[in-house]
Amino acid sequence: MKYFWIQLVLIVGSVSMALVFIRTWSQAKNRAWKRIAFSLFVVVNVYAVLRPTDVTWLAHQLGVGRGTDLVLYVMVLAMGFLTLNTFLRFRSLEKKITDLARTVAINEGMRHNDERLSTEPGAEAAVTADADSDSVKA
Amino acid sequence: MPAQDVTPITEHSYVPLSAGATVSQYDDVWLVIPAYNEGQVIADVVEGARKTFPNIVVVDDGSTDDSAEHIATTGAHLVRHPVNLGQGAALQTGLKYALAQPGARYFATFDADGQHQTKDVETMVGVLRRDEADVVLGSRFIEQNGQVPWIKQVVLRTAAAVSPTARKLKLTDAHNGLRVLSRKAAEQLNITMNGMAHASELVGFLAGSDLRVTEVPVDILYTEYSRSKGQSLINGVNIIFDISLRERGRR
Repeated sequence: MKYFWIQLVLIVGSVSMALVFIRTWSQAKNRAWKRIAFSLFVVVNVYAVLRPTDVTWLAHQLGVGRGTDLVLYVMVLAMGFLTLNTFLRFRSLEKKITDLARTVAINEGMRHNDERLSTEPGAEAAVTADADSDSVKA
Repeated sequence: MPAQDVTPITEHSYVPLSAGATVSQYDDVWLVIPAYNEGQVIADVVEGARKTFPNIVVVDDGSTDDSAEHIATTGAHLVRHPVNLGQGAALQTGLKYALAQPGARYFATFDADGQHQTKDVETMVGVLRRDEADVVLGSRFIEQNGQVPWIKQVVLRTAAAVSPTARKLKLTDAHNGLRVLSRKAAEQLNITMNGMAHASELVGFLAGSDLRVTEVPVDILYTEYSRSKGQSLINGVNIIFDISLRERGRR
C-alpha cells in the first residue's frame, strides 16, 4: 500500500482530464485520431500508475534504464507534438484574423475614401484658392 | 469651404485630391505603401510621390501613433487594418484594394520611410509598359552607388546567394521593398506570410510562376530615419524560422 496516495493523485488527475476532454468533445469534431490517441493515453496512464513495475519491464525491453525515464521520453515526444500542433492552430487562426481584418479594412477604406476623395468637383473650387498659394511655392 | 466642414483637418495636399481627376501619364499606376507608426514622415513621403503618381493607397497597419491622421491630410487613399498584422499582410491588403480600383494596370510596392524614389518607379513602370517583363524588382546591387552599409551588403548578398529560389531567378537582391507588378502578376500573388518573411515568399512565388521577372537598379536613401526604422539584421533569424516552418506546415 505504500504507493496508494500517489496512485490516487495520478488516477484522479487522469480521470478529471478525461472528463474535461469529454466535455469539450463537440468542439473537436473532426479530430478523431487525436481523440483515440488521448483515450489511449488515459488508459495507459491509469495502467502505468497501478502497475509501475510493468513500465519498468517495458523500459528494460527497450534498453531504457527505469520506467520513469521511459515516461519522460514519451513526455518529451508528446510535448513536441503539442507544440507543433499549437503552432499550426495559431497559424490557421492568424490567417482567419488576417482575412477578417483585411475585409473590414478594405470595406471601411472604400467607404471613407469615397467620401474623402471623390467629393472633388465641389471641394475643388473651394481648394483652388488655397492651391494657388501652394502652387506659387511649388 | 463646405467640404472642409466634414473633415476639419488642414489639407496637406499640393496635388488635387481626387486621384482620378488628375490627368497624368501614370493614371494606371497604383502605389501601395504599407505604413506602421510612420507618422513623422508619411505625409511628406506620400505627397512627394503624388507629384508623379496620382494614385496611392496607404495601408495603415494598426499604427499606435497618429499615422492615420497624417495620411488623411494627403490625397492618398487610406486603408486601416483594425489590428497590427505585419508588413506582408499590409502589402496584400493594399494590392487587393488597388486591384479593385478602375483603370489600375500597374502596382508598385513602396516603402513608407522615404528610402525609395519615384524616378526608380518610373523606370520600372517603363519596363512593364514595353512589355519586357511582368514583374520588375528593384535591386541595390546591380549598380553600386555606395549607399548600402557594407555589413548589410554582405548579409543581403549572402541571402540572395543561398536562397535557391533567388538563384533560380538570378536575383541579386531578394529583399528589396521596391517592386512593380503587372495586373496579371498582382492578381496571382497571394502573400500569406504576414510578417517580414513575405519578401522571401514573394520570390518563391515568382520562381514557381511563369511570370517574367527582371531586376532594375535602384537607389536607396539610407537616411537617419530609415536606418532607425529599417530591419535589423538579427531579424533575419526570424525570417528563416518563419519560412522553414511554413514549408513544414504545408506538408
